[in-house]
Amino acid sequence: MTTAENNMESEEKGYEGVQTPLRRFLSDFCEAKLAVVGFFTILAIALVAIMAPFIAPTDPYDLATVSVLDSRLAPGEAMMNGTTAHLGTDGAGRDMVSAMIYGLRISLGVGIGSGLIAMLIGISFGLLSAYAGGKIDSIFMRIVDIQLSFPAILVALVLLVTLGKGVDKTIIALVVVQWAYYARTIRGTALVERRREYIESAVCLGLSKNRIMFRHLLPNCLAPMIVVGTMQIAHAISLEATLSFLGLGMPQTEPSLGRLISNGFEYILSGKYWISVYPGIALLVTIVSINLVGDRLRDVLNPRLQK
Amino acid sequence: MRTWRQIGLAALAVTTLSGPLQAADIVIGIRSEPSSIDPYFHNLGPNNAMLGHIFDRLNDWTPKMDKMFGRAASSWKAINDTTWEFKLKKGIKFHDGSDLTADDVLFSYDRAANYTGGNSSFRTYTKGKTLKKIDDYTIHIMTEKPYPLMPNDTTTVMIMSSEAKGTGGKNKGISAKDFNNGTAAIGSGPYKFVEWKKGDRIVLEKFDGYKGPVAQPWDKITFKFIKSEPARVAALMAGDVDAIDNVPTSDVERLKKNPKISLSSGVSNRVIYLHMDQFRDSSPFVTTKDGKPMNKNPLKNPKVRKALSMMINRKAIVERVMEGIAIPAGQLLPEGFFGRSGKMQAEKFDPKGAKKLLKEAGWGDGFGLTIHGPNDRYINDAKICEAIGQMLSAQGIPTKVVTMPKNVFFKRASKGAEGGLPEFSFVLVGWGSGTGEPSSPLKSLLATHDKSKGMGASNRGRHSDPRVNKVLNEALATVDDSKRGALLAKATEIAIGENTGIIPLHYQVNTWATRKGLKFDPRADERTTGYDYTPVK
Repeated sequence: MTTAENNMESEEKGYEGVQTPLRRFLSDFCEAKLAVVGFFTILAIALVAIMAPFIAPTDPYDLATVSVLDSRLAPGEAMMNGTTAHLGTDGAGRDMVSAMIYGLRISLGVGIGSGLIAMLIGISFGLLSAYAGGKIDSIFMRIVDIQLSFPAILVALVLLVTLGKGVDKTIIALVVVQWAYYARTIRGTALVERRREYIESAVCLGLSKNRIMFRHLLPNCLAPMIVVGTMQIAHAISLEATLSFLGLGMPQTEPSLGRLISNGFEYILSGKYWISVYPGIALLVTIVSINLVGDRLRDVLNPRLQK
Repeated sequence: MRTWRQIGLAALAVTTLSGPLQAADIVIGIRSEPSSIDPYFHNLGPNNAMLGHIFDRLNDWTPKMDKMFGRAASSWKAINDTTWEFKLKKGIKFHDGSDLTADDVLFSYDRAANYTGGNSSFRTYTKGKTLKKIDDYTIHIMTEKPYPLMPNDTTTVMIMSSEAKGTGGKNKGISAKDFNNGTAAIGSGPYKFVEWKKGDRIVLEKFDGYKGPVAQPWDKITFKFIKSEPARVAALMAGDVDAIDNVPTSDVERLKKNPKISLSSGVSNRVIYLHMDQFRDSSPFVTTKDGKPMNKNPLKNPKVRKALSMMINRKAIVERVMEGIAIPAGQLLPEGFFGRSGKMQAEKFDPKGAKKLLKEAGWGDGFGLTIHGPNDRYINDAKICEAIGQMLSAQGIPTKVVTMPKNVFFKRASKGAEGGLPEFSFVLVGWGSGTGEPSSPLKSLLATHDKSKGMGASNRGRHSDPRVNKVLNEALATVDDSKRGALLAKATEIAIGENTGIIPLHYQVNTWATRKGLKFDPRADERTTGYDYTPVK
């Protein structure tokens, strides 16, 4: 509570005493039990994804160890190398448990990675747009308008068809699709904040534009960004799954969750449900958890909803 | 109450009566949409199958491809070593009412030979042949050398009207567009073109003036394009379509048990095989084990090629990937076809022997490869590529797997590299022998690539051995059937047996499904032809 901004903020909201903003935030957040469950689920999923090479029983992306002779084993059957396939194997002979763990790794990696990059780009454009105003603002916002007028899936499809397959290319496609949401959101918030007294005083003090934009304006616009970011990451994950389901995105030998679902789709009518259903559940749980957390964050960080 | 009962009875009457009335229509769900209605635009399975309804050819095959029969031709014979005489049937009408005469045949062969702007031409069947009109119903086809396979070749090129309605007289200037919208789609086949809704359906209607040998069991045939495998099966089970082709191997077992569905399947003339780059010293997708480019190409060594073939467990592919619905291959055509070698069997899976061979060839430490293949052309094509990737990787040849849609794949595989050369080093493709004997794959896949002679047109590995060319040329000019058969077998034995110029994997087995009450004779040429469906009790 040393800087001028913080003082002003706490006065405005009428909070004093031992409660720090972080503590207040945590206690508010924890009021919704579902959100807490969601948070810990994401944490667990993220841990599993990060530790994939140590946790997964087999390496599903190593062609030399995957054998087509193991294909389509039912859950619980033993593979040729002795490991039990607890959730069965897919059409190429990959252990489903391992394939899902690695698939989650790709899904989360692509989702979070593209989300963060898009956020960086979106924030830069949005802030500049709001702060500079005038022509720059109109040009940037018309670009955003054009971008938002295309369905995200369509843009991503076209990009991936031209770029080819791979993690990097999927991230590029998702960044292109997402940055405009961030830019639009932060511009809206920044336009409101820009008229506040603390910005005017900073301008009067003769601080540089960059300093005002990134040290004064940005921190006060971050709350909505966190909310949009969380939601967008969930959106990116499901978009990536959709693209993989359509056969784009990840290469065939390194299936992400969407690809696993589409591989299994072929067998689902013949009773081999496990190839599609389990990755589907994993995807569902991940996205629902992220959305639960995102929803709660929106409630907690929204000043209008505060008591 | 009474009114309700009456309505119910009326409805019942309508439904039971309308059944037999519609019985002469059939809706067939097919996987692949043809790329054009122009008969010379693209020499492609789906096109040839669809256009055979609308256009006649001089000759055609029975479903099993064991017998040829005349469609526009009434008889044919060789009148000397280099001249074949074809007599046309009299009284064949085009859909616009005009007569089919020698002029139309000459026009069609000329258009096929000089077609520009298409995707893959019929030129291999027209090259080196001169057509001469003797009278309105007699044609002579002259070749430079004796050419016993002439009748077989006439099962490919379709005959269109030289003065198709709406195209303005001698229709030199018509394009594929005129066919696709129907104005120029005037043939003499058993069915007339009605409409083509791209991406959705093609509708054909019985041609009443047809008197030829092809059956006309239906008044209207509708082909619906359903690319997705589960969707096609679901459409059949829901009764949206009466029949489907390309039943996915994973659904065959289940459909067999369904009392409302009948299945038919047959071995095709198509072999699925691998090409290997044998013309570049530094092949773009042959690398060191850790993926760095090399300036040596192990695939040039026949021992290495043989070793790769031995590393592939064909039985596993057939059983696990194809679910038993395929036959391991050791040559170009399955049993029962003319000109096969009696000696050649499918290569045995022998990883130890393969390692030994690799060592002998100086590549005991292995190398890296990338296999390229289509993912929407052959049965389970992408999965086969992946299985091969696994098998080679497990034997010390780390192999990457890249699959892509067929329209991208074939362009790149045939001429994607600089100078119009094949781009890839190791590709999975298939070849269906349209002439029902091995000379067509030998000519296209294994003879030395030579555009001017029409040889090696699809030789994407550029395999080249003068001995193969010599035996093949001798075979092509041999009139005596059994001698020619022996020579074709010998050429196969050298090109595949000794050289491993390509690696045959398996022969495709195709499965068709219909609702109960319909029958389809499986066709060895893989064509889904509406006129081959017959109602049964």
